Amino acid sequence: MAGGVPTWEEVARDHGRFLYNVAYRLAGNDSDAQDLVQEALLRVRKGLERYQPGSLEGWLARIVTNVFLDEVRRRRRRPADSFPEDPDWVIPPAPAADEVSTGFSDEVQAALAALPEEFRSAVVLCDVADLPYEEIAESLGVPVGTVRSRIHRGRRLLRNALVSTGETA
Amino acid sequence: MNTRPAPDDRLSAYLDGELDAAERDTVDGYLAESSEWRAERDEIEFARDALRGLPVHEARPGFWEDVLSPDVAKARAGRRSRLPRLVAAGTAAVAVAAVVVASLIIPSPDRVTPRIPALSDSHAVRTSVSDEPVSQLAALSMITPFRK
Repeated sequence: MAGGVPTWEEVARDHGRFLYNVAYRLAGNDSDAQDLVQEALLRVRKGLERYQPGSLEGWLARIVTNVFLDEVRRRRRRPADSFPEDPDWVIPPAPAADEVSTGFSDEVQAALAALPEEFRSAVVLCDVADLPYEEIAESLGVPVGTVRSRIHRGRRLLRNALVSTGETA
Repeated sequence: MNTRPAPDDRLSAYLDGELDAAERDTVDGYLAESSEWRAERDEIEFARDALRGLPVHEARPGFWEDVLSPDVAKARAGRRSRLPRLVAAGTAAVAVAAVVVASLIIPSPDRVTPRIPALSDSHAVRTSVSDEPVSQLAALSMITPFRK
C-alpha cells in the first residue's frame, strides 16, 4: 500500500469478503453478485487515484450499490431482462441444490430480495454495510430524510414478509 | 386532545442512533406513553436484528483466485477497453453499408436521362390531333439567336 492508498488487488484481497456480501444482499443471487463484484472492482481500479483515505468499506459499499442500481436501470430499459418490480408478486429465487439451507437466514434473504430496489439498497447499506444515514444519502443521491423513510419502510415490508412466512419473533 | 402522531420513520432513526437529542426525547416520550409506538418499535427492531444477524455470504470457492488472476484481470480489462472501439467500428461499418445500399437503391439524378426527342415527338402527335390552342401556336415559333 503506497501512501495509504491500496492497490485494487489489496482491496480485493482484504475487503473482497465484505464487498461480496454486500453485492449478494443487493442482488439476491451468486451469479449477479459475482458480476457486481467484478464490475465494482473495475471501478475501484479506475477510481483509486481519486480515493481519499477514510472509510474504505463505505467507499466500496457505495461503488457496488451504484453498480447494482446502474444494472437495475439498464434492465428496466430492456424489459426482457427486467427485475420484477411489484413486491407483492415477486417470488424469491429458490436456493440452488448445492446451497445449504440456513433456515431463518434464507427467509430473511428471500424477504430482502423481494424488497423494491430503492428500499433494498437503503436497508443493505444501513444494516449490512453499516453506513450512517448521511453516507447512504450521498451514495444514493437522495436527502437524508428520504433515506430514513426508505429504511423504515424497507424494514416494515421485510417484517411483514417474515410474518407472512411465519418467521416472527 | 391527543396530539401524538402515529408511529413513523423516526423509530428506525431512533434505533440507529440517527436522531438528535430533541427528537430522541420526543420519541422516548411517545414510547413511554404509547403501546402503539412500542409495538411498532418492536417490529422494526425485529426486522433490523434479522438483517444485521445475516451471516456473511461467501463467494464460491475459486472466485477470488479467478478475480485476482493476472490473466483473467488483464483479459477482463482488455475486453472492456476494446468494447468502445468495437462499438465505434461497428457503427462506422453499418453507416458505410447504409450509404452503399442507399446509393444502389435510390436513383441518382445524374442517371435520369431526359428523352427529349421522344417527348417532343409524342407531344407533336398529341397536339396534332387536339385543338389545344397554345400548342397550335408552336408552329409559328422560330428560333432566333440571342443578341445584345
